[in-house]
Amino acid sequence: MEILELKDIQGIIIRGYSNLPAAAFLLLRISDPTLAKKWLHVVSPEITSGEERKPELALNIALTFNAMAALGLNKQVLDTFPLEFEDGMITKHKQLFLGDFGESAPDNWEWGGKNTDEVHILLMLYATDAGALQNLQDKHIAQLGRYGLSEVTKLDTSVLYERKEHFGFQDGISQPTIKGLSRQDEPENMVSTGEFILGYKNEYNQYTPTPTAGDKDAAECLPPSKAKLGKYDLGKNGSYMVFRQLKQDVELFWNYMQKSTQKENGESDAKEMVKLAAKMVGRWPGGAPVIVCPDEEIKDHNNDNKFDYRSVDELGLRCPFASHIRRSHPRDALDMDRLASMKVANKHRILRRGRSYGQPVTEEMKPQDILQVKDIQGERGLHFICFNADLGRQFEFIQNAWVNNPKFNGLHDERDPIIGNHHYPSDHKTTGTFTIPDKTLRKRFTDVPEFVTVKGGAYFFMPGIRALKYLSCL
Amino acid sequence: MTKHGALSVLAHIKPGMKQDAIALCEQIVAEDVETNSIIPFKKITSIHFARFVVFNESTDALGNNVAPYLIFTTNYDQPYKNHLEELVTVAGDGLWKMFSFCEDFPENIAYNREALRRYLELKTVENAVFYVGIGHRTVLQVRQENELRDQIESFIDSQQSALRDKGPVYIRKKVIEFVHNNPTLSWAKKRAPKPFILSELGFYIKLAFVCIALVVLLPLIIPFVIAWLFLILLTEITEKNVSYELDKNHIRELVERETSPVQAQFSAMGNIKPGVIRLKTMMFLLNMTNFLAPYIYSKGKLSGIPTVHFARWVIVNDGKQMIFLSNFDGNSESYLRDFINIAGKQLSLMFCHTVGYPKTRLMIYGGADDANGFMNWARKFQTITNVWYTANKEVSVKNIFNNSKIRDGLYGSMNEKEAAHWLSLL
Repeated sequence: MEILELKDIQGIIIRGYSNLPAAAFLLLRISDPTLAKKWLHVVSPEITSGEERKPELALNIALTFNAMAALGLNKQVLDTFPLEFEDGMITKHKQLFLGDFGESAPDNWEWGGKNTDEVHILLMLYATDAGALQNLQDKHIAQLGRYGLSEVTKLDTSVLYERKEHFGFQDGISQPTIKGLSRQDEPENMVSTGEFILGYKNEYNQYTPTPTAGDKDAAECLPPSKAKLGKYDLGKNGSYMVFRQLKQDVELFWNYMQKSTQKENGESDAKEMVKLAAKMVGRWPGGAPVIVCPDEEIKDHNNDNKFDYRSVDELGLRCPFASHIRRSHPRDALDMDRLASMKVANKHRILRRGRSYGQPVTEEMKPQDILQVKDIQGERGLHFICFNADLGRQFEFIQNAWVNNPKFNGLHDERDPIIGNHHYPSDHKTTGTFTIPDKTLRKRFTDVPEFVTVKGGAYFFMPGIRALKYLSCL
Repeated sequence: MTKHGALSVLAHIKPGMKQDAIALCEQIVAEDVETNSIIPFKKITSIHFARFVVFNESTDALGNNVAPYLIFTTNYDQPYKNHLEELVTVAGDGLWKMFSFCEDFPENIAYNREALRRYLELKTVENAVFYVGIGHRTVLQVRQENELRDQIESFIDSQQSALRDKGPVYIRKKVIEFVHNNPTLSWAKKRAPKPFILSELGFYIKLAFVCIALVVLLPLIIPFVIAWLFLILLTEITEKNVSYELDKNHIRELVERETSPVQAQFSAMGNIKPGVIRLKTMMFLLNMTNFLAPYIYSKGKLSGIPTVHFARWVIVNDGKQMIFLSNFDGNSESYLRDFINIAGKQLSLMFCHTVGYPKTRLMIYGGADDANGFMNWARKFQTITNVWYTANKEVSVKNIFNNSKIRDGLYGSMNEKEAAHWLSLL
C-alpha cells in the first residue's frame, strides 16, 4: 500500500471541508510575475494540507497553465503538462468535446471565456462562518496589489438547507474513496490514489503522466520522478482541478416538471412532478436512488450508494438509461459483464468538491413552495469543482462519452437531462429528449430545455505544497 | 441481406505531387464531403463509409525510404461489379483527377472510363482482415430502418393519451396499422431479407471442417505451437522497447477533425518488425481473425467492443508495413480507451508485431496493459484522414441492431408478453 504524503497534498483534495460552510473563490491575474512569486512564497505557509483534519480556516491554491507560463516556467517543463490542461476549456475542439453551445458557449462566459480577462490563480478560502471568511478574504484582497496580482472576479458560495443543491436534491452522495487513505468503503468504490493524485499508481497500475523538471532548483525542491529517469516530479501530490460555474434555472426546472406532468384537467400533480424530476436525476430529492425505490421516496435509503443498474434493471424500468446518475457513473451498466463494467467505470471517476452559490428560491427548496414564488430574482447555481489525475480520461471522458453522448447506453438521441447541452451545431432541435421506459409503453419527453448554463470555467493544476514552493522560486 | 465488401485502392504518389493530392482532398472537404463536385459521395449509394488518406513518406523498419501513399477505401454493398460501376459512373472524373497524382497512372490521355477502371483494379490491394459490425444490412436498409423507428416514435408520442391505458398487443396493432397506412414506409410491409440458409450452412460446414482438422492434427500441432511460441518469446526478449513522446500538435490536428457527435474514424500506418518469425506469425493471426471474425464477432461486437461499424487491416509494401482503418461510434479518445479497457489482449495479439507497440510477452501479456505506452503508440501512428464520408451518420451500431429488431416486430403475431418486450425497444 502506498503511503500518501498528506503533508504535501493540499487539503481540499483530501476532504471537502464540510466543517467550514463559508467559502469564497478568488480568481486572480498575474500582472507582475516577480511579485506574484513573492506572494506564492509568503502565502504558502498558510496553505491547508491534507494532514489537518478539522482546520478552522482553510486556504488552497491552484494555477492555470498560463499562470505557470507567466511565472516563468520554461517551455521544456511546460511541455510536460498534458495537452488537455494546456489547451483548456475554450478551444473549438473543447467546445465540441465538452458540449458548450448556445447560452453555454465560451463567448458568453463571465470568466475564463473568450472575451474575458485571463485567469491565472484560484485562491480558495474556507471558514467556519461568514464573519471569519470576511476577515480572511479582506486580508488577502488587501495585499493583492502589493504582490502584482489583480482580482478577475470573486465567486461567493452558499450552503443550502440539508446540503442540497438549488433544484432541491441531495448532491455529492457518490464519491470514490481514495485507496491510499485509511477510510473504508465497499471494494467497488475504492479507487487507486493515482486516479486523483499525481505520483501514485492509478487503476492501470501505472503512474499517470506527470509534469517533470530537470533543473537544479527542481533537484532541491522536488522528489525524483518515478516514471522519467533523471527528472524531478513537479506533479507529485498535485491534481488537476476542473472548475465550472453552472447556473441553475430553478424556476424553469420546476415549471417544466409541473407542466409535463399535469393532469388532463390542467391541475398539477405534485407527486408525478417530483417523480419526473427524480427519474431525470436518478435519485429522489432526499437522495434515495430511484433504482432502489422506483415509485416513491423512502428516507431510509437516502444515502444509499451501493447498487447495480443492469443486473437489476436491464430495461431501465426503475432508473431510466438517460438519467443523470446512471450515465455520469454507470457502475455495472456498461455493455459488458458486471465486474468488467465496474472496473471500466472506475477508470473514469472524479472527486467532487463543488459548492453552491446564490440564494435558494425558498429556504427548504420544496417544489410546491418554489412554484408559489412569483418573480424569482437573482442568480443561483453550482460552482462545480472536481479533481482528477487525467483530465482527458476522467472529467472530459465523462462529459463527452457519457453525459453529452446521445447514443450512450444504446439510446438513440438522449443527452443528460440535467446537465446535457442541446445546442450542438448538428442538433435538429434545441431541446433534449428523455425517455422513461415502462412495462407497456415508454413515456417520452421531447421538449426538455437546458436547466443548467455554463457561466465560466477553467482547468487548474493544484500543485503539491513543495511544488508550489518550487514555482515560487523560479 | 447483403454481403459487404471493402475496397482498398493503394498507390504511391508521384514525386512532388503529394501537396496536389492533399489540396484536392481539402477541396472535397471544403465543398462538402456529401455533395462536392469532385466525388459526390452521397450519390454513390452503395457506400457505407469511404475515405482518402495520404500517408507521408516514411522509412521501413530496415531503414528503406518509402514514397508517400494515397489510399482510397470504401465499405460497400456487394456485388463488387456494381459498386465499381457506380464509382466510375458517378465519380469517374474525380477519381481520375485524384489518381493522376499517383504512380503508374496512364499518362497524357484525357479521361477514359475503361482506363480508370483498369487502374483501380490494378491498384486494388487485398485486405488481411475485414471486420463488419453491422450485420448484413445495406446502406438503404440502415437508413430506412432508422426512419421507421423515428416515425414510430413520433406516432406514439402523438397518440400518448389514446394508447396510455391499452395493452401491448393493442398498441402493437396500432403501430402496425400506422406503418401500413404510411406510404413513405410501404417498404416496411415486407420483412427484411434474411441470410440465405444455404450460404449460412456453407459457412458453418467450413467452420466445422476447420475444427475437425484441428482436432485430428492436434498431436502434430501442439509441439509445433510450443516451439513456435518459444521462438516468439525469444524474439520478444531480444527486441528493444521503443517509447514515444506525444507530439501535441499532431494530436490537435487529429482530434480537431472529429466534429461528428456520433461517429468517427481512425487511420494508422506502422512498420512491421523485421524478421520472418514476426511476419509469419502476424499473417497467420490476421488470416485466422479474418476467417473467424464472421463467426465470433457476429453480434456487432469486435472483441467485446460494441461500437465498430467496419474495420480493416491491410499489409502493404511486401509485408513491411501495416495499415489499419476503422469506422466507429464516439471519438478516438474513447475508442482507444475501449481497446485498452475491454480488448487489450486481443489487440496486442494483432498489433504487437508493429514497431513501437508496448513490449509484450507471448503476444498477449504486457502490451496494452501499459496504457500510457499504448496511447502514445496509437497516437504516434495515427494519421490524418484527409477525406472521410459516412452515409448514415446519425446511427450507432447499437441503433442499427435495435432498429432492425423494431422492424422485425412488425410481422407475425405476438402474445401480450412478446408485444411488451417488443415495445421496450422503443
